[in-house]
Amino acid sequence: MKGAVETSCALQTPSRPGRAQHPFSVLGFLTLKGDESGVSQARPLPFPRMGEFKVHRVRFFNYVPSGIRCVAYNNQSNRLAVSRTDGTVEIYNLSANYFQEKFFPGHESRTTEALCWAKGQRLFSAGLNGEIIEYDLQALNIKYSMDAFGGPIWSMAASPSGSQLLIGCEDGSVKLFQINPDKIQFERNFDRQKSRILSLSWHPSGTHIAAGSIDYISVFDVKSGSTTHKMLVDRQYMGVSKRKCIIWGVAFLSDGTVISVDSAGKVQFWDSATGTLVKTHLVANADVQSIAVSDQEDSFVVGTAEGTVFHFQLVSVTSNSSEKQWVRTKPFQHHTHDVRTVAHSPTALISGGTDTHLVIRPLMEKVEVKNYDAALRKITFPHRRLISCSKKRQLLLFQFSHHLDLWRLGSTVATGKHGDTLPLSKDADHLLHLKTKGPENIICSCVSPCGSWIAYSTASRFFLCRLNYEHDNISLHRVSKMPAFLRSAVQILFSEDSTKLFVASNQGSLHIIRLLEGSFKHLHTFQAQPGTVESMCLLAVSPDGNWLAASGTSAGVHVYNVKRLKLHCTVPAYNFPVTALAIAPKTNNLVIAHSDQQIFEYSIPDKQYTEWSRTIQKQGFHYLWLQRDTPITHISFHPKRPMHILLHDAYMFCIIDKSLPLPNDKTLLYNPLPPTNESDVIRRRTAHAFKISKRYKPLLFMDLLDERTLVAVERPLDDIIAQLPPPIKKKKFGT
Amino acid sequence: MVQLRPRASRAPASASAMVDEGQPASEEAEHGLLLGQPSSGAAAEPLEEDGDGDGDDEWDDEAPEELTFASAQAEAREEERRVRETARRDKTLLKEKRKRREELFIEQKKRKLLPDTVLEKLTAASQTDIKKSPGKLKEDNLQKKNEECEKGSESKKAKEKVQSIGQNKSYVALRLKDQDLRDSRQQAAKAFIQNSLYGPGTNRTTVNKFLSLNNKRLPVKKAAVQFLNNGWGTQKKQNAKRFKRRWMVRKMKTSKK
Repeated sequence: MKGAVETSCALQTPSRPGRAQHPFSVLGFLTLKGDESGVSQARPLPFPRMGEFKVHRVRFFNYVPSGIRCVAYNNQSNRLAVSRTDGTVEIYNLSANYFQEKFFPGHESRTTEALCWAKGQRLFSAGLNGEIIEYDLQALNIKYSMDAFGGPIWSMAASPSGSQLLIGCEDGSVKLFQINPDKIQFERNFDRQKSRILSLSWHPSGTHIAAGSIDYISVFDVKSGSTTHKMLVDRQYMGVSKRKCIIWGVAFLSDGTVISVDSAGKVQFWDSATGTLVKTHLVANADVQSIAVSDQEDSFVVGTAEGTVFHFQLVSVTSNSSEKQWVRTKPFQHHTHDVRTVAHSPTALISGGTDTHLVIRPLMEKVEVKNYDAALRKITFPHRRLISCSKKRQLLLFQFSHHLDLWRLGSTVATGKHGDTLPLSKDADHLLHLKTKGPENIICSCVSPCGSWIAYSTASRFFLCRLNYEHDNISLHRVSKMPAFLRSAVQILFSEDSTKLFVASNQGSLHIIRLLEGSFKHLHTFQAQPGTVESMCLLAVSPDGNWLAASGTSAGVHVYNVKRLKLHCTVPAYNFPVTALAIAPKTNNLVIAHSDQQIFEYSIPDKQYTEWSRTIQKQGFHYLWLQRDTPITHISFHPKRPMHILLHDAYMFCIIDKSLPLPNDKTLLYNPLPPTNESDVIRRRTAHAFKISKRYKPLLFMDLLDERTLVAVERPLDDIIAQLPPPIKKKKFGT
Repeated sequence: MVQLRPRASRAPASASAMVDEGQPASEEAEHGLLLGQPSSGAAAEPLEEDGDGDGDDEWDDEAPEELTFASAQAEAREEERRVRETARRDKTLLKEKRKRREELFIEQKKRKLLPDTVLEKLTAASQTDIKKSPGKLKEDNLQKKNEECEKGSESKKAKEKVQSIGQNKSYVALRLKDQDLRDSRQQAAKAFIQNSLYGPGTNRTTVNKFLSLNNKRLPVKKAAVQFLNNGWGTQKKQNAKRFKRRWMVRKMKTSKK
């Protein structure tokens, strides 16, 4: 029985980075050879072949994520807040397999320079526009933004008790704010300094603060607001330099030591009681840009502009002495560009920078169970879908932060055998470049399956556009008056026949709108329970238009009956967030993928899990399947084969054949096609339900266009790196 | 010593004139000096006399023309007055020009601003409308820029707008001066960080060079990651294409003949 995916062909699609700007799609011929006889079944029925597919390989989606600027770790909920240079703030749940569960879209005028958590799971950010912004994690919008009247804000730190907020401004002032239950309130100013305050740190007792500026560090007394010490920093390690020394980070330890990192590449230890320098470590030739200390104060981590992250630990001088000193223990080189921010969780080091990766490195000595959880995690690709597809007209809609691109796929008339690259007879067409008005980023977008509607949303407005196709021309007409309740949407979906529009808004409510020729009519709104929002809502609609599934609340996945406009049932809650959702065509089975790589299949008419789902839950998934890093972002189905589920994550795509036996931990998960001279017995032994192909990676999107065509949107990492800002020069011997 | 006939040339003439006719003019010169006449007056006189007595051989027969001191003084004064007059006229002309320009600018500015009635209504409306919901704040911030542009341009439609502004209390009036200050500070901050990270003195390199370092150290050396420079010689390539097209057309024509 040949149940495998052919990966042994010689298909080499060269990645030509210079041509990444020019659109080309190469059609590869992929054959998935199906089973010839049903060994798992008692009756020897001839099993249909899985078939051969033509694959559109799309590489003209010019997706470049923005660099990471700040990272803040919250110990109580084990969540990480990440802010990027375009103003987006993302929340990652580190215990849910490092899944990005929420995000706040960016804004052109908001360049965040500091991010911090305060008491009660409140998130604050401050930036160069001079405003302090508080985020509402339940309603997924911005609660308020308060102007600090000090000019651009460079740094912000929450007090150890969590009830006060300190900011450092451009004009040299340090301002103290009181955090009230509903808002923050300005309390007082500290002594004004000469130059901008670039970094702040509280003493763990809350009595003193250290502020790093340009060429000096000041230590303030919180009660009086005056400087107790001013420590001057050398511009260069044992030398003279013209460039000013910028203190990028300071940290205050409870024994009174102040650790500073600066642009000359030094890590210096100061004694705040006397205001003197204790020790200097020269760690880099370029700036050291960030520092983070662990809660126990026995280790800290610094990030440099060369991409290296250094781990310092407090170790005893000799094995049985009580005297300890700080020693640089481990260097990590996981980044290519500046590491602008680091964080220290109890078990891991987290770093992020201009090269847009978020790297989480668990520390082996702190991790208790040494399994795959202790491996390095590098988050590069988005955890949500940025691409939607119109199958009828073969269109792809790409979502960027400020514009949308609509492309029509090329076509070919050639045929070939497995592994061939087919030449295009008609090139891919760039049909539409739609820019959004205003400074806000686009949150979500969707194109209808028939290709005549495009809907997208920013944080304050919702846009719906109608497309008309005449021969080869396309014309766009925007629907002008949107209803007042339709402000911003977190997820947008069209029904299969393109007559209905489903919008999940950030307040937790779900709107159903019927689309007419030039206008629309509001049908119904489902409200959610307040305070139950766990992650961003995902939507799925059944192809016959009867059922709508919505995830994102702590109650589980809700299934609504669209014809009767009421709640049908709720899939029981699972403790990991949902990453992808889809409803199968004829059987109306709801397939749910969670962030811990579990997949559930729930039958909507029967209101219970299906037989197959129970079987696989009892047996458990293969251990290699569970160890995958990236979440499944899209699930789709074959129109003629109800036993097949097609899903993909960033590094593989898989077709699950429900009729085949499930693999146990001993079988090979990624099994290439065995050579033809192998006996049937061995083939039968290695065949199982998960047909995985790693040929197209990194995948941003993969879908079935029709029975014999697949589309795969790839984004090679080199193409992203080629568009990043310049890195620090490295001198290597022999070049 | 031979007394040479004085030439009509300038510089040497003045010297020789001073030497030769210093005696007859010396009395006037003395007077001139006492009266504070500029010395050029004394030098000017003999030159004039030169002009007169150029063709004359009878310079020792006739006494030189007597120009009274008073007349010379009067002439000099006339000169000065004329100069002063022209200067004053120029100044007044300039002043008038400047005045006209100022008036023009004031008028243009008046045209740009809204009439006083609208401004009064604005201040009245903003005083009454104190409460604003936080949800609207964001909208206002977004619409700030639109409002400013609108206010600056329309003055004819002001009347219709007045009623609507008074009733619709969901906009914010901003002073453009404050906005400029805030923007300039933000620009300065951005420039500072750009300069400190990517400015001169930082050791930065291009991404291409950075990624190609590995290629250089491989056992079989490979080319750089972005080896081709497609932006090189675009004009040359375009010209070449055009020439080729024209050459082909010409070739076709000649081959047809």
